[in-house]
Amino acid sequence: MMATSVLEQTVEPEPTTSPAGPLLDSPRLAAIYEEHSRSIYYLALRFLGDPASAEDATHDVFLKAFRKLDQFRGDSGVRTWLYRIAINHCQNLLQSWHRRNVFPSADESFGHTVAAATETPLRILETKELGQRIQKTLDALPDEYRLLLLLVADEQMKYEQVGALTGQSADAVRGKLHRARKAFGALFQKTG
Amino acid sequence: MKKNSSKLKHQEEQRAAVQQQTAQQKTALEFATPEELLRHDAGQVSPPPAVARRLGESIAREPRPSRSWWQRFLRL
Repeated sequence: MMATSVLEQTVEPEPTTSPAGPLLDSPRLAAIYEEHSRSIYYLALRFLGDPASAEDATHDVFLKAFRKLDQFRGDSGVRTWLYRIAINHCQNLLQSWHRRNVFPSADESFGHTVAAATETPLRILETKELGQRIQKTLDALPDEYRLLLLLVADEQMKYEQVGALTGQSADAVRGKLHRARKAFGALFQKTG
Repeated sequence: MKKNSSKLKHQEEQRAAVQQQTAQQKTALEFATPEELLRHDAGQVSPPPAVARRLGESIAREPRPSRSWWQRFLRL
C-alpha cells in the first residue's frame, strides 16, 4: 500500500505524452521508463563500454523493475532503486565476461599512479571523438571510481544515495570522489 | 585586376578570421570537474527507441500476475 502511494507520488504517469506509452502497456512503467531510461542507459553504456550491451542491459533492468514493481517498498526513490538493479546487472555482466579491473584496490594501487595529477579544468575540443575519449578514460579507471563518477554526475543523486548504492558512507564517497576526479583528469589528458 | 586581387585577399582574410574564431569557440568548451564533462556527455546520449519497443514486447510475453485469494473469492 505504502509502496504504491510513494511510487505514484514520485512518478506521475502521462501515457499520452510519453513516447514509451504506446509501447508499454503499463502506464506506471511507461512513466518510469520515460523519466529514468536515459540515466540508466547512460550508466550502462559507460559502465559496460558497449552500446549493444547497454541496450540489452537497459531492457533487462526495466524488465526486472516491471517484475518487481509490486515489491518496491518506496524506501528509496525510484531512480535509486533502478540504479541498484542496473549496477547489480552490469557488475554481473562484467564478472561473467571476466572483465574485472586489474587493480585489486582502487585506493591502494591506483592512487600512486595519479598522485602527480593536477586539478586543472578539462579543456576539450568538441569533436565526435569526445565520447570515445570519455569511454577510454572510464575504461582505464578502476570499477569503483568509474561507478562513483557516473553516479555523482547524475545531479539528482546525493552523496548519501551514492553511498547507499555503493555500500559506504557519504564521507567515504567524498574522499574517494576526490581521488577519482584526479585519476580521471590524468587519464583523460593522456587520451587527448 | 589589382582591385580584384585585393578583394580576394580581403575575402581570404575574412574567411581565416572566421575559421580562427570557430576554432576558439570550439576550444572554449571547458569543464571544472569530470562530473560536468560526464553530464555534458550524458546529454548527448539517449537510449535507442528500439529498447522501449523490445521492452514492450517482453512485458507482453510476461505471465499475468496471479490474483490474490480475496480477488478470486470475490471473482474480481
